[in-house]
Amino acid sequence: MSDEKLGNTNCCLDQKTFYLCCQLFLHHSSVLGDGWSWREVKGVEGYMKKTVLVPGRLGSLLSQHGQHKTEEYIDIVTEEDQVDNVDGGTCSVCESQAVVHYEYHVLYSCSYQAPVLYFRASSMDGRPLSLEEVWNNVHPNYRERLLQGPWDTLTQQEHPLLGQPFFMLHPCRTEEFIRPILQMAHSEKRRVNYILAWLSVVGPVVGLDIPLSYSTAVTAPD
Amino acid sequence: MADDKDVLRDVWFGRIPTCFTLYPDEVTEREAEPFYLLLPRVSYLTLVTDKVKKHFLKVVKAEDVEEVWFEYEGTPLKWHYPIGVLFDLHASNTALPWSVTVHFKDFPERDLLHCPSSSVIEAHFMSSIKEADALKHKGQVIHDMQKKDHKQLWMGLQNDKFDQFWAMNRKLMEYPTEEGGFRYVPFRIYQTLSERPFIQRLFRPVSAEGQALTLGDLLKEVFPAAMCQDDEPKRYQVLVHGIEPLLETPIQWLSEHLSHPDNFLHISVVPAASD
Repeated sequence: MSDEKLGNTNCCLDQKTFYLCCQLFLHHSSVLGDGWSWREVKGVEGYMKKTVLVPGRLGSLLSQHGQHKTEEYIDIVTEEDQVDNVDGGTCSVCESQAVVHYEYHVLYSCSYQAPVLYFRASSMDGRPLSLEEVWNNVHPNYRERLLQGPWDTLTQQEHPLLGQPFFMLHPCRTEEFIRPILQMAHSEKRRVNYILAWLSVVGPVVGLDIPLSYSTAVTAPD
Repeated sequence: MADDKDVLRDVWFGRIPTCFTLYPDEVTEREAEPFYLLLPRVSYLTLVTDKVKKHFLKVVKAEDVEEVWFEYEGTPLKWHYPIGVLFDLHASNTALPWSVTVHFKDFPERDLLHCPSSSVIEAHFMSSIKEADALKHKGQVIHDMQKKDHKQLWMGLQNDKFDQFWAMNRKLMEYPTEEGGFRYVPFRIYQTLSERPFIQRLFRPVSAEGQALTLGDLLKEVFPAAMCQDDEPKRYQVLVHGIEPLLETPIQWLSEHLSHPDNFLHISVVPAASD
């Protein structure tokens, strides 16, 4: 991305630069061994992928008949609390500590000329987590940021390459938070790896950690 | 010669006669009669099937009811695709009515998005419109519209109000005369036998030399396999709203007149009907 463009306030990322930034990012990832890989689609078209197992909390409703049901929009509470189920009866809610399997994909959106973060989570027995459970696994420190950030919260979307349901942070307002980063770097005559800068902002909000060593090790493409 | 505006109406009012049957394994208190309905091509399954749900909920036990989902010949139907696209893609060369199976249990979590309310459909619809405008006008037109204008687009679709919808949508179909067309054409090409759900690329409707590009030019660029050689029998049909537009049709014209209400040109490539 040339420096002159920033004067025109162009924070667009083209496909080629996306590819180059990812390759530089992946190079450091392979040094750290932190699990990112490149999935090629065709030529420079592809995406970055990482899977990770983390401890998390899964909630489930136990109905009076002892059957498990996962409700989308009911608050997950502690074992002692009772909630009403839709039939007007009562049932207990319990939360269990579990290992959650997270899968993160960094794709390029040609419509928005920006990267997009897709992710999905499942329990170890393969059950996909509901939106509610994903929300509950966002660190409390990041919940505010997730609610107020320049993205229209988490929504379930079809993965454009795999066709399966993922959660996504909408990219249409990426420019709002990437612009200050790019402008500051420009004024300090530094070049920035767009993907690293972007992922450092959106990643932690959904539980994706970017170790500090990336900031010094990863360069920007020419 | 048909007026271009007539095309807009024909597209909006396109219908698919559909027969809904309950999945046989779902236990009912009495026999479940099939339910017949004309589905709008341009709408979404979960938006127009309240009557279908009501009909089958009469015979299904309350405790057996979870989120409704639809399936055709074993394939879960993606409610977030326009109905006409689902039909063209999966059942275009089959006999009408379209036979769709209704399920109230065992929601296929790995295949389908959840649809807990109509506001999810609205969010999805508006998201498509915004993305289309990002491609056509860098998002400027949708950005300049007020919230009530956005609402009018959605209400127009939800309530099947052509005039209400197009009063707003015509703004999304404008472009600077000197450009000759949109910045990029919002389109998606679907194919059943591909892991990839659709093909979407940046494509300008006007060449660098100022020539209006056609449907054929688009296919040559992004999906050359769909074009057959002159001496070969036709392998594929390229369908938009159930018809095969001539490959010479300017893509700008197609985008303005044959897009869905979500402002995308949805193109289904299916195997040519064998005699």
